[in-house]
Amino acid sequence: MRLFLFTQGFFFQLILFFLFTTSIVYANERHSDPDGCLSCHALTGLQFIDKEGLLRVSTIDESHYYSSLHGSVPCKDCHRKISHYPHKVENGYVDCAESCHVNEPSKGEAYTHKPIVEEFEKSAHGQGLVKDFAGGNRLKEELEEVNPSCRRCHANTAYIAEDQMEQFKTAFMHTETECGTCHQGDVWRDQFGGHILRRLVGSRWKKEGNNKMCIDCHANQERMAKVELEDPETHEKHKVDRRWIDATESYDRTLHSRILKTKIEAGASCLDCHAPTEKGKFRHNIYRDEDKLSATHPEKLAKTCAQSGCHEFANTPLNAGFVETDLHDVDQLQILNWLSLIDSERLESNWQRAFYIVGIVVIVFIFGAFIWLFTGIKAKKQAPILGNDSFEKIMIGRKIRKKPKKKPVVKKKSPPVVKPEVKVPPAIKPEVEASPIVKSEVNDNSIEKAESNSDKGKPSV
Amino acid sequence: MRILNNIKAIPFVQKYRYSVILISSLSFLGPLAFLPQLVGNDDLCGVLCMRRFYLYFPGMTFEDFFTHINVAFIGVIAFALILLTTFFYGRLWCSFLCPVGGLAELGSRMLNDRWKIEFRALPQVQIRYGYFTVYLVLMPLLGISACTLCNFITIPRLIEALQGEYRGIVYIVSSVGLVNLGLLFILGFFASKGRAYCQFLCPIGAADGLVNRLGAKFNFTHHIRVEKERCTGCNVCARACMCGAIQMVDRVAVVDQLSCMSCHDCVDVCDWNAIEWTPASRHKEPKRIKKHVQIFPDPNWQSINVHDQPKTHIASKKVNRVRLINGLIVSFFLSFIAVTSVMAMA
Repeated sequence: MRLFLFTQGFFFQLILFFLFTTSIVYANERHSDPDGCLSCHALTGLQFIDKEGLLRVSTIDESHYYSSLHGSVPCKDCHRKISHYPHKVENGYVDCAESCHVNEPSKGEAYTHKPIVEEFEKSAHGQGLVKDFAGGNRLKEELEEVNPSCRRCHANTAYIAEDQMEQFKTAFMHTETECGTCHQGDVWRDQFGGHILRRLVGSRWKKEGNNKMCIDCHANQERMAKVELEDPETHEKHKVDRRWIDATESYDRTLHSRILKTKIEAGASCLDCHAPTEKGKFRHNIYRDEDKLSATHPEKLAKTCAQSGCHEFANTPLNAGFVETDLHDVDQLQILNWLSLIDSERLESNWQRAFYIVGIVVIVFIFGAFIWLFTGIKAKKQAPILGNDSFEKIMIGRKIRKKPKKKPVVKKKSPPVVKPEVKVPPAIKPEVEASPIVKSEVNDNSIEKAESNSDKGKPSV
Repeated sequence: MRILNNIKAIPFVQKYRYSVILISSLSFLGPLAFLPQLVGNDDLCGVLCMRRFYLYFPGMTFEDFFTHINVAFIGVIAFALILLTTFFYGRLWCSFLCPVGGLAELGSRMLNDRWKIEFRALPQVQIRYGYFTVYLVLMPLLGISACTLCNFITIPRLIEALQGEYRGIVYIVSSVGLVNLGLLFILGFFASKGRAYCQFLCPIGAADGLVNRLGAKFNFTHHIRVEKERCTGCNVCARACMCGAIQMVDRVAVVDQLSCMSCHDCVDVCDWNAIEWTPASRHKEPKRIKKHVQIFPDPNWQSINVHDQPKTHIASKKVNRVRLINGLIVSFFLSFIAVTSVMAMA
């Protein structure tokens, strides 16, 4: 019993401890610089010219660093090779795969980015300057390197989104956007800060921002055109095609992208398909479509589309057709060569064969619809060429008489009428014959007459 | 002058209707397209799409359905509004506003009648709902995207192509675009009255027609209704109807509410004021009195309503083929959903 009370009391104490001490914990000095690196590196204008003759700035913005994800970590925890001042530039490189400063509470082991780095090294981007967090010479990386380093994507982006920056400035009457300049030592700043080395997850991280990271490189068509791809099986290098070069543009044409641009998060970002959330993976495993490990490989595509929150029905074999939609459709892109429009390879499909039939009919009708302008034919009733009788027969229910044989033509063929005056009485005959029929109709029932009259569009009794 | 006279001869309501179609075409399509651009889409694709969200994929859950709604929520709202107005006022969207069907209709009405195809005699209800089930159920399964045969994108793309925008040109010269273009011409411009696509293939029209028929069963809703006591069975309205929705049954015009678009073509034509867009059929003074003709009191040519004698129909025991086909379509649709959902679950 006492034990129970004790444990209960302990529990309450624990809760109280957490309630009252959290603020104190955060208020602890987070800005640790035990090695005094910032005594030099915080100076503005700390620059040097490297071997290649490039001016390089090694100033570290104090406030940026402190409010970053790693703001509480001493410099030497990552820059391990630097033991004393002055140090070589190369020694400053960081290996993200090494174990580091934090002990993970669940296992008690030192935390490390190793699994992420391993995953990344295997991926399509992984042959670059991976081990160097900063990618060595950044300018060199920017211009020459094909594959990105960690730093390239986990870049130093502003915490407040760019489109919200103006709103923020007016709402808070701020001219300065660096929080640290004024709010030095404020507790909340440590919680909300996070500049260098962003994690690309979290509620404020939108998919569009995620795409920006990819577009940063892949939208550069000139650079993408220089890339040579290696076949995963034969290891032959080949030049890239238009589908690869303009992948960003063709993505922009899809609904996935268009929906994201209207600020609806239901669309799919680049990473959502190319590196979807998987158990035991860290979303760095981007491969090329031809690679069997790729999430966008035809075999895996159904599973990728069926991720939670997306097209979950895609994974059933009944929907095998669903994944055939081309999401990087070159046909949606700007035309480079106008002759390619009528390229037989591009048009080859059953749809085209259908058009051969449909198109001929269309052309005949276009020609026919305007020919009356030139011929000057004036018919009293212009009946549709196809199916006019069927409407009268089926919908109206009228019995259509066969056309009378053209007797007047025969008459015209016999021009020499010798004695017209004599042959007058036979010409009246048909009129006489016709009139009793009409009379009998009227006598029998008036309804039929009303109908036959109204058929002409002039109802009268 | 002949053209001017022709325009003058158009009844007032039809003039109004054509102008509304023109305005809506200008505001939805082409270089102006300010309504889609307000939303952020320059065509009728994307959040504005009204047609894709109700497709059925085997193994689909309600969650997926709501995702689809979320993706195109503006289109869903527009679709719901269309159905709501249809319930109360008939298919006014289809006949007065729809820029896609309307443009085809205007084009068709400007062409010579001689070179047109008469589609109205085909069994349109069966074709429409047969295709509708295929559209909802079979096409997603076969991997033919519903967007492939979407006329809501064909016409914006066509106008884009006329502007010289590359996206439209490429679409029209693509194989799918070619077929869509052919359909637009055959079922649009060269169809008699220009509404064949609406009659046979348009899925929004199909859904709208169901609601229209439901709405027509109530007394307080506005729909095209026939006053049986006035109708002479003269077939003038049937000939004028652009949807082929009117047929004479025992010399009384009967409106097929599944196909009727409330375009008022029949109302303008009827001399006896027998067909009207009204809440419920009511007695009125005749619209015009003919020479030497008095309509009230009851004329002796008044048609007899045979609908009150159902016994003879039962006694004949004829198999009604139309009803049989309708039943087949509905049962195919339902059984397909049942079977595939069970297969997807397993």
